[in-house]
Amino acid sequence: MKTRYTSLLVTLMVIIFMYLPIVMLVTQSFNASKYGGRWTGFSLKWYEALFKDSSVINAATNTLIVAFVATVISTGIGTCAAWVLHRYKFSTLQKAHYGLVYSPLVVPDVLMGISLLLMFVSARVELSLTTVILAHITFCVSFVTFTVLARLQDFDFNIIQAAQDLGAGGFRIFLKILLPLLGPGIAAGAMMAFTLSMDDFVVTFFVGGPGSTTLPVKVYGMMKHGPPSIINALSVIFMALTFTVAIAGQFFTRKKA
Amino acid sequence: MKKYLSFLASAFFAVVCIALLGCGKRTPQLNVYMWSDYIDMDLVKEFEKENGCKVVIDIFDSNEFMYSKIKAGSAGYDVILPTSYMAKVMYDQKMIETLDKSKLPNAKFIDKNYLNTLAADKTLQYSIPYMLGYTCVAYDKNKVGELPDTWAVFGNEKYKGRMTLLNDRREAVGAALFFLGKSMNSVDDKDLEKAKELLIKWKKNLAKFDNEVYKAGLQSGEFLVVQGYSGDLFQVIAESPNLAYMCPKEGISVSCDDWVIPVTSNNKDLAYKFINFMTSPKNAAKNMEFTCYCSPVPEARQYVSKDNQNHPGMFIPAELYKRGELIRDLGADNAKFIKIWDEVKLAK
Repeated sequence: MKTRYTSLLVTLMVIIFMYLPIVMLVTQSFNASKYGGRWTGFSLKWYEALFKDSSVINAATNTLIVAFVATVISTGIGTCAAWVLHRYKFSTLQKAHYGLVYSPLVVPDVLMGISLLLMFVSARVELSLTTVILAHITFCVSFVTFTVLARLQDFDFNIIQAAQDLGAGGFRIFLKILLPLLGPGIAAGAMMAFTLSMDDFVVTFFVGGPGSTTLPVKVYGMMKHGPPSIINALSVIFMALTFTVAIAGQFFTRKKA
Repeated sequence: MKKYLSFLASAFFAVVCIALLGCGKRTPQLNVYMWSDYIDMDLVKEFEKENGCKVVIDIFDSNEFMYSKIKAGSAGYDVILPTSYMAKVMYDQKMIETLDKSKLPNAKFIDKNYLNTLAADKTLQYSIPYMLGYTCVAYDKNKVGELPDTWAVFGNEKYKGRMTLLNDRREAVGAALFFLGKSMNSVDDKDLEKAKELLIKWKKNLAKFDNEVYKAGLQSGEFLVVQGYSGDLFQVIAESPNLAYMCPKEGISVSCDDWVIPVTSNNKDLAYKFINFMTSPKNAAKNMEFTCYCSPVPEARQYVSKDNQNHPGMFIPAELYKRGELIRDLGADNAKFIKIWDEVKLAK
């Protein structure tokens, strides 16, 4: 009996710790007060201000463009890398490759940001949204690779041999066997890349050029100077979007199964 | 096959998007690098219309981050707005231009009193001051009553755990130095040692050192006394009638953000026009009302609305100029502040 209460308590605590901040955020976004220290009445003015503030909208668009492009490209590269790493894992070349892919996971962001900036500057590349995208691809690739690699660990290669026996070509094997079986791994990697890219502040700050302010950079700036209330409203909109996408995703996958 | 094609199509679409973003640069573009929410966007739009150009504003949240980025060679910005001490460092390292004053006719409006007393760049050689702010103390007068204007309040155990000082070594150590009757830019080892001990004593009464949530905390009643930046505090006080402020008589720190032009700018003429535009009294007034900070352009006062004529953030009382002190770059002696700040942070 005792364990049941303990687990109930733990579950409750987890729910409170996970969702109370979100509830607070949603409530605060409707608070008329600028700094949110006191409830001064229900108001939609921060949502109105948000839609009028072109700099926030711009930053949000930049973030989405970067996250989308970086995810698509890094998922492609990362999946190929994982495949090669797994297939030829006993070759020395791939061991070196493994080390190279692994290192961005442990290198601190500041180092990565400043070294990428130095590289772009010495290569005389003009800093812009493109350099931000390139930088994001760089660190996203590692995360995608390791997620897909984990999926490959329990992949049964006999299936591929069986397909080859039955006369399937390389492209067909990729489409009909690899993609569906690795799909969940690839999707997980892509989602991770997307969130990491949306979140990144340090690397983006260094490699961004004029006009490439993204949402995290903007939010940090607003924390110091300016009202956090607009950010609350924006977060609620983003959250509503993510929830809709997640629920829709679940709905569609359930239908298939 | 379909999946594969749609993947290709979306990748292609993305590449086209980037390419399009890259070549939309027909009209001249001015890239400004500054603090967030620190300029009236209507004025920026007016400037765009007047000069047929596009203004892109990017933001940074710390002088040091911005410095390391520009120092590493990040180019493309035409106007930057660092704090005075950082502008000096950048000028000494030849990262910013010596200004051509013939292109800045409005520089004549800059307050002589400010230039002669506080300013770091007294002859406007490399920077044009934009906004002045100071650090003061705000408190909840319903709960603590009227406070005398002194830094001593942070030694009062009655408010233990309900006070905050800024999480900034120059501001926090500076407050302790002021209380001891010294300059906040003092690098004398004895002074600093005493300031350290005092600050450790104060720390026992503090909830924390904080730069961001003190505004909301003061409003909600979590904190009773906070050290904070004038522009922000006056915006909070305007919302909550139970709050008040005081400027400690021992001294207060004043800081100024200055317009500078980096040597890497591709559009210097437009940059001069922008700085000149923002320095005109009428526009300075608009920016003051937007930020609640003080523009060092005295003639702006006539354009400020009646309600704000005596706003303590927008018009720094003359006597504060006497008690005020600008944070200066200390060069190698910065290490001393870093050292005692670490010791304060570690002290129990």
